[in-house]
Amino acid sequence: MKTDGRDIDPSLGMLLGEGSGQQVKRDDERMEAVLPLPWDKTPTVSETDPTYYDRPLLKEPVWKIDIPIYYFLGGAAGAALALGAAVQLAGDGELQEFGKRCHWVGIVGSSIGGALLVHDLGRPMRFLNMLRVFRPTSPMNVGAWILSGAAPLAITAGLFSNRQGLLGHVGSAAGYGAGLFGLGLAGYTGVLVGNTSIPLYQETRRLMPVLFLASATASAASILDILFEDRRSSKITFIFGTAGRLAELGCGFAVENVAGRVPQVAKPLHSGVSGALWRTATALTAASLVISLIPGHSRSRRKWAGVLGALGSLALRFAVHYAGTASARDPRASFRQQRAKMIA
Amino acid sequence: MGAKGFFTDTTICIGCKACEVACKQWNQLPDDGFALTGMSYDNTAALGASTWRHVAFIERPVALSNQMADGFSWLFSSDVCKHCARAGCLESCPTGAIVRTEFESVFVQQDICNGCGYCVVNCPFGVIDRREDDGRAWKCTLCYDRLKDDMTPACAKACPTESIQFGDLDELRVRARGRVEMLHEQGMQEAYLYGDSAAAQPGTEGLNAFFLLVDKPEVYNLPPNPVVPTKNVGQSWLSMAFAALGVAAVALGSVAASRHGGAR
Ligand code: SF4
Repeated sequence: MKTDGRDIDPSLGMLLGEGSGQQVKRDDERMEAVLPLPWDKTPTVSETDPTYYDRPLLKEPVWKIDIPIYYFLGGAAGAALALGAAVQLAGDGELQEFGKRCHWVGIVGSSIGGALLVHDLGRPMRFLNMLRVFRPTSPMNVGAWILSGAAPLAITAGLFSNRQGLLGHVGSAAGYGAGLFGLGLAGYTGVLVGNTSIPLYQETRRLMPVLFLASATASAASILDILFEDRRSSKITFIFGTAGRLAELGCGFAVENVAGRVPQVAKPLHSGVSGALWRTATALTAASLVISLIPGHSRSRRKWAGVLGALGSLALRFAVHYAGTASARDPRASFRQQRAKMIA
Repeated sequence: MGAKGFFTDTTICIGCKACEVACKQWNQLPDDGFALTGMSYDNTAALGASTWRHVAFIERPVALSNQMADGFSWLFSSDVCKHCARAGCLESCPTGAIVRTEFESVFVQQDICNGCGYCVVNCPFGVIDRREDDGRAWKCTLCYDRLKDDMTPACAKACPTESIQFGDLDELRVRARGRVEMLHEQGMQEAYLYGDSAAAQPGTEGLNAFFLLVDKPEVYNLPPNPVVPTKNVGQSWLSMAFAALGVAAVALGSVAASRHGGAR
């Protein structure tokens, strides 16, 4: 062994461990990301309402905008697949075409959504590791299984459901399956955010799945309205969409109320970027609802209602996403929420 | 093997950061930059993907019974992953990369982690984080490699005051309770244990790395009543099931209604 005269094995000084060879982000950036204050403006630790120099207690989500877009697309796809299965069940020849469109919205939404999910991973090549276990305690694992069921079923249904013979049977069975998996696809993301330590999500964990499903319903109807036009199917999307938009508005209101039990927890819904998005979402959805309810048939009005409705749902998903980040940054939200539970 | 863990007695921590350095060195973790935070002597700021021990310095105008300085106190506490008995990170991990080891510690298998980031938002203590450059989640391993060789974790080994004590959990708990009694006898009524048992912290069912504190948990940036999210996830699934039934009903209803004139 080569030595440098000292009785030391130089290989011992080499950084070979798993954790080595890392590069962290630049210091000032890192500091600013957490606390955008110059060091001489650092808050003191107060006696009555202490936090650790206002540092966040929790880590904020590392998810990028892929994720709210996925919430939207996956939701719309899921609800469209459910509607497609309902159409199939009715067995109405006149609606065959409409059922097919539902399947195609499902196919496009779940495939783009899936691609976004993979893109957001820290190690995209390892996506399939999600499927190496089945772990019911992890909504993300359950969701990965749901997505990998929904997408292929939707594709099978889209390709074969209107065929004759055996293929047709396979296609229609896949269509029903896709409908069931679609409901899961539209709803599990609500469970996924509810199952986090982020105070806003934690407080509204019972409502989030309902809000996400409602929003999915509204956006599926909106998208179908924007893309396609015929009298019979527009009756369906009208009822489906109206129910979805009403539920979306009602549920949003309920989320504000439930989170408002601890005012600090509801703060991101009222202030900042997330608050603005949240209000925008409500306004867009309400506008879409009003326009769609004006009596009389008008093709352009229906499209406008669809555009506003889809934008409203998209804004809602972004609002939920950014509100989560804001909530994670606020140590007082967690502290007060937990103290409130301790007294109760 | 049996359950191993840390008992961090913050009353004898002197804020030397030997644990931080030992951890970085043994685990070959990079520095996180050199910035001044203005938070007493704490320029580490927080635990993270490349910082697995963090000494908090709490400097404030509040009198505590063991500190002589009039109306002023200075507290140090070396924070670490709690290796929760029910760990949010582990239960939410969709790939099974995070496992419970034979020492009852919580360990991230780096060859499996795909960097989904879900553990990051599931830890009620803000411990685990995803590394920007390599895309995987990292946190304290309780020096799994050292334990395998019957060695003490680097931080506990380096701690000059034995503020960080490593050992069998049962034994540590007994020792910790004795220490609290001793402090109470000495007139330090504020001393208490944080997360030493499932009864003390039902939300996590106890921490395998627990603490002796002398002030509110919030002061040390510890949550007063942490609850592992997966404990309540059943409620979310249930409401999703009802909502999904609702959507199915609306879907069927809208198709049926379209048949008879109905709306438009
Ligand atoms: S403290 Fe956080 S990272 Fe450590 S075991 Fe508990 S949940 Fe996991």
